[in-house]
Amino acid sequence: MMKVIIMGCGRVGAQLATLLDKEGHQVTVLDTKSYSFRWLPADFKGTALLGHGLDEVTLKKAGIENTDVFVAVTQGDNRNIMACQIAKHIFDVPKVVCRIYDPLRRDLYITLGIEAISPTTIFAQVLKEKVEG
Amino acid sequence: MYIIIVGGGRLGYYLTRALLDEGHEVLVIEKDATFSQIINNELGSVSLHGDGCEAATLEAAGSGRADIFITVTGDDEDNLIACQLAKHKFNVPRTIARVRNPQHEKVFKKLGIDATVSTTNLILEHIKHELPSHPLMHLLDIQEKGLEVVEVKIPPGSTTIGKQIKELPLPADSILSLIIRKEGKPTVPTNSSVIQAEDQIIAVTSPESEDELRAALIGE
Amino acid sequence: MEFHRILVPVAGTKADEGAIELACSLAKRKNKSKIFAVHVIPVERSLPLDAEIKPEIGRAEDILSQAENIAQERGCAVETDILQAREVGPAIIDEATEREIDLILMGVTYKKHYGQFCLGDILPYVLKNAPCRVILDHQIDI
Repeated sequence: MMKVIIMGCGRVGAQLATLLDKEGHQVTVLDTKSYSFRWLPADFKGTALLGHGLDEVTLKKAGIENTDVFVAVTQGDNRNIMACQIAKHIFDVPKVVCRIYDPLRRDLYITLGIEAISPTTIFAQVLKEKVEG
Repeated sequence: MYIIIVGGGRLGYYLTRALLDEGHEVLVIEKDATFSQIINNELGSVSLHGDGCEAATLEAAGSGRADIFITVTGDDEDNLIACQLAKHKFNVPRTIARVRNPQHEKVFKKLGIDATVSTTNLILEHIKHELPSHPLMHLLDIQEKGLEVVEVKIPPGSTTIGKQIKELPLPADSILSLIIRKEGKPTVPTNSSVIQAEDQIIAVTSPESEDELRAALIGE
Repeated sequence: MEFHRILVPVAGTKADEGAIELACSLAKRKNKSKIFAVHVIPVERSLPLDAEIKPEIGRAEDILSQAENIAQERGCAVETDILQAREVGPAIIDEATEREIDLILMGVTYKKHYGQFCLGDILPYVLKNAPCRVILDHQIDI
């Protein structure tokens, strides 16, 4: 069982939370709007926490000091990057994963040691394979 | 010097004007086309319309030859990312970021930003200055050395009044630089200087030892 | 209508010739009239404003000597200048103000951008900000 904090409860964040929750992990989802938590299923056993993921107080409340994984999937690339750097460098979270839409920014932060995924690159690649299929 | 500023709001605008007056070459990167245009009309061709967090914009801005890179947008995350881009991709020697959330100052420093300015902290300091009850005030930050210059006022009734400096348990990384007596006469403290009521003591210290220094000087 | 100090910004397009010719015919009536032909080199931000961009300066010299020749054929003297600026429009306006110009004369080539008629950035800027009269010389079929 892992402790996982997910910042951003959009479609992706909520779905990831649901999957991890079903597998028995201890999940905390962070969002600045309570309305976003509607994406979570009724039988979600994790914690939904209202607050800003760049705020130390919120992060501590979410249990960042002893979490195993931190995932940032808000709509803002910069917000994701900053949150992940806080998790990695201030709180020494062992595994940190970041969504960065902009492929160029992703490349830079990979060289700076942030594990980052660009949906833009991946989706374009998938589409290319379909087109060439 | 060539100075790039990200964020053409009111802060960016006045900063640009002041730096231009000092004879520097300045460029403001502003996301909003209308704001960028207004700056260009009023201050001459000194604004570039674009996102300061994108490498392409920083390239067009000629970041490679910038001496200082300052971010003053309203969002801490944008200020951080733009500064990191300038630092790591364009090797700008000095990056300075505005910070909204005062807690982020230490985060930014840890992440390699050379200097931060927190408006919240600045206002807070001013308020503290106005409050006579607060015995320790910050006068100056020497950020790159991790030191600060502070002022401690000795309130009447302090247990240290009448004691010599050498009797006080001062922290090892704090140094008393100046004592200003009640009547306004400044003296350089020595080991045998005696603390008097309403002395203003100017000291250099590390931020960590601040509380210890204050306790040593006013007694608790 | 007489003009005493005419500024002709030349960009190195086919419209330059017609613009200089027109400037000459407007100036000639009075011997004291002066024509200034200027070429503005836009300097990208990666370089300092006073950088010496050799190929650009060479090209500017060619454009200006071409303008001088055209004017000479019509018996007019032209003063030429190369300007370096971040943006062309404001540079033209600054020059017009500094030299107390009473007419800016610009040759226009017919431009299409993505299928639409387009004046570019410079002309509208000059029209909007000029401290004096402006004539746009729109030449057909060049």
